[in-house]
Amino acid sequence: MAVRLFSKLRVLPEIKAAYSSSAAAAAPAQLSDFDVQHKTPVIRKQKLIPKAQYGGRHAVTMLPGGGIGPECMGYVRDIFKYIGAPVDFEIVDIDPTVDNDDDVLYAITTIKRNGVGLKGNIETKSEAAYVTSRNVALRNELDMYAYVLNCKSFPGVETRHKDIDVVIIRQNTEGEYAMLEHESVHGVIESMKVVTASNSERVARFAFEFARKNGRKKVTTVHKANIMKLSDGLFLETSKRLAKEYPDIEHNDMIIDNCCMQLVAKPHQFDVMLMTNLYGSIVSNVVCGLLGGAGLLSGRNYGDHYAVFEPGTRNTGTAIAGKNVANPIAMINASIDMLEHLGHHFHADLLRRAVHKTINVDRIMTPDVGGTASSTDVVNAIIGNIGLNH
Amino acid sequence: MSLISRNIFRALVQGSQHVSKGVHTSAVNTKENVCFAPQSISTLQPNASKEGRIKCTLIPGDGVGPELVYSVQEVFKAAGIPVDFESFFFSEVNPTLSAPLEDVVNSITRNKICIKGILATPDFSHTGELQTLNMKLRNALDLYANVVHVKSLPNVKCRHHDVDCIIIREQTEGEYSALEHESVPGVVECLKIITAAKSERIAKFAFDYAVKMGRKKVTAVHKANIMKLGDGLFLRSCEEMAKLYPRIQFEKMIVDNCTMQMVSNPNQFDVMVTPNLYGNIVDNLASGLVGGAGVVAGASYSAECAVFEQGARHIFSGAVGKNIANPTAMLLCSANLLSHVNLPKYSRMIKNAINTVLKDGKVRTKDLGGQSTTKDFTYAVIHCLS
Repeated sequence: MAVRLFSKLRVLPEIKAAYSSSAAAAAPAQLSDFDVQHKTPVIRKQKLIPKAQYGGRHAVTMLPGGGIGPECMGYVRDIFKYIGAPVDFEIVDIDPTVDNDDDVLYAITTIKRNGVGLKGNIETKSEAAYVTSRNVALRNELDMYAYVLNCKSFPGVETRHKDIDVVIIRQNTEGEYAMLEHESVHGVIESMKVVTASNSERVARFAFEFARKNGRKKVTTVHKANIMKLSDGLFLETSKRLAKEYPDIEHNDMIIDNCCMQLVAKPHQFDVMLMTNLYGSIVSNVVCGLLGGAGLLSGRNYGDHYAVFEPGTRNTGTAIAGKNVANPIAMINASIDMLEHLGHHFHADLLRRAVHKTINVDRIMTPDVGGTASSTDVVNAIIGNIGLNH
Repeated sequence: MSLISRNIFRALVQGSQHVSKGVHTSAVNTKENVCFAPQSISTLQPNASKEGRIKCTLIPGDGVGPELVYSVQEVFKAAGIPVDFESFFFSEVNPTLSAPLEDVVNSITRNKICIKGILATPDFSHTGELQTLNMKLRNALDLYANVVHVKSLPNVKCRHHDVDCIIIREQTEGEYSALEHESVPGVVECLKIITAAKSERIAKFAFDYAVKMGRKKVTAVHKANIMKLGDGLFLRSCEEMAKLYPRIQFEKMIVDNCTMQMVSNPNQFDVMVTPNLYGNIVDNLASGLVGGAGVVAGASYSAECAVFEQGARHIFSGAVGKNIANPTAMLLCSANLLSHVNLPKYSRMIKNAINTVLKDGKVRTKDLGGQSTTKDFTYAVIHCLS
């Protein structure tokens, strides 16, 4: 993604020259990540589709998904309308009960042509072996190899640990999620975990570039190389090798079980954490739990061409759907990330300040983080705070 | 007699205009509306939102342009719309007085929105340059996509009813490359340039626009049977893009057949995507179907900014100073501009007012078979703002 592409630019000075001259003609201001994804040549060569930005407005795919997704997307749309965010949503509904993948394929196509998506969690109701998880299919098909979860404490939410500030970067497309399982002999199932040098290197470089760009000090690689000496070993070796290219950033590694213990005991020792797919899933849920549950944090999926923003923990929340108690903050945070990515910093700031004030100052929160307000109360409070800000 | 009745009517309209104006400004100050005030956060000019007012570049243009623009300004004033205009006299037929191109381009780049009258293009060139000022402006801003929404208006008598199609035209290359030369005396060559990048870009624009507006079908207009390579490339690019939009029907039509279909059965069209010159012709043809240049709004888009101008570009120089031009198209442009910058309430207000006036049918300009003046129409619209 972006940071990674910046590094490519250093390698290819002639491209940088061409790119900066064309950029200077169009807009001398700094480019948004969205623009960078669209303007720079990339590793996995594929035909570049013209970007979906017209008259200053972006088209973005919205996948409401299942559970509380549709209602949260409704709130996001209300807020966007209110602050006048220059974004046009193309809404694609995916029917969870249907067994074929038409809707999912269509959703993938729309993200390909828009470049950016905002998504809830998509349910895969069917447990038939031939139906793959739709979330996984989406990430694999769009080759979104890096997942970023920004975990920062909300001062307004009561938790055991204060002032946690960790970034989790997770390999998103391979590892345990390779979806290669078979029954070799009756009663014996084998599941393959695939780790490749190229993908490990991509995500490790992404992590170090991210750390450098965001002024982070340390990257911790989380692994289980003492048991899985070859697969996790490769991942660990790759990150150690890349760490040498970034002498300004401290690098250490930690075994996953120890890491989980350290996280709940002394979370402040971590800065940027880099890990494979399954560990990422576990660790991000642990950290979300530390910070106040599934309803607060937002995650970002990055590939070389596309970016998809979603709530940080991938739960659909089907049980609380339609009861007006779902926490809308996660989805709103995801939409803030999206605005930042598109380069609409003003609107992102406006919304971020309003969310901050609502939670940390006014303390208007849903029951899952210790408040008493309903979802709509929270959204209305945020909208009210936007008015105050400006 | 008719003169007296008209004057009485005008007095009535103006009187009620003041009333409605008063009512409106007080309405803006009620608590309910203050709550909705952040609607005036411009989507495109965040810094302007401190005062809640939006800046818009204004190019009155030639011919009746200044009169039409004045009509828009009157309506904006009466409705209390928070838009400030940054006006530029910009003209090719009057080069000494015209603002420099860079100033205009900078202003539009900064404001990201512009209302523009039509610029007259002289048949000869003072300097020997082949590019017209219009083309220079488009190229400088990279305004590659021109959108004309041709829609039948209520109570405007035409041969066809319920025409509703969107014509999207590539307007930075093709026949308008301004590359002409005389290779041998008596032999002139004009180069028509078609590039894959720009063809794909306009095709994607058309499909994305169709998605945004909830349309079902995109028709590519071409002449690839004759210009097999040039228009062929355009057509292939459209076909390529169509694959990304499986839920939108794609069809292609040769431009000559297209014009015939347009006059005989215009209702079959939904969204059309065309190269430069065909787009120009089809735009004008379709505008003629629904009431002429005075009632069709259009817009040009680049990635960053949008310029709103009439759909059929005629300066109507015969009507200059006669107070007879129809301001409907320009007012519709301004309404589209307002919805583009996230002021949908004002946009609807103006559109509804225009529809009410047209439906009423009492105030019509000459082109629609009436006797009213531009001013009459403007005040009638202001009267109907609610």
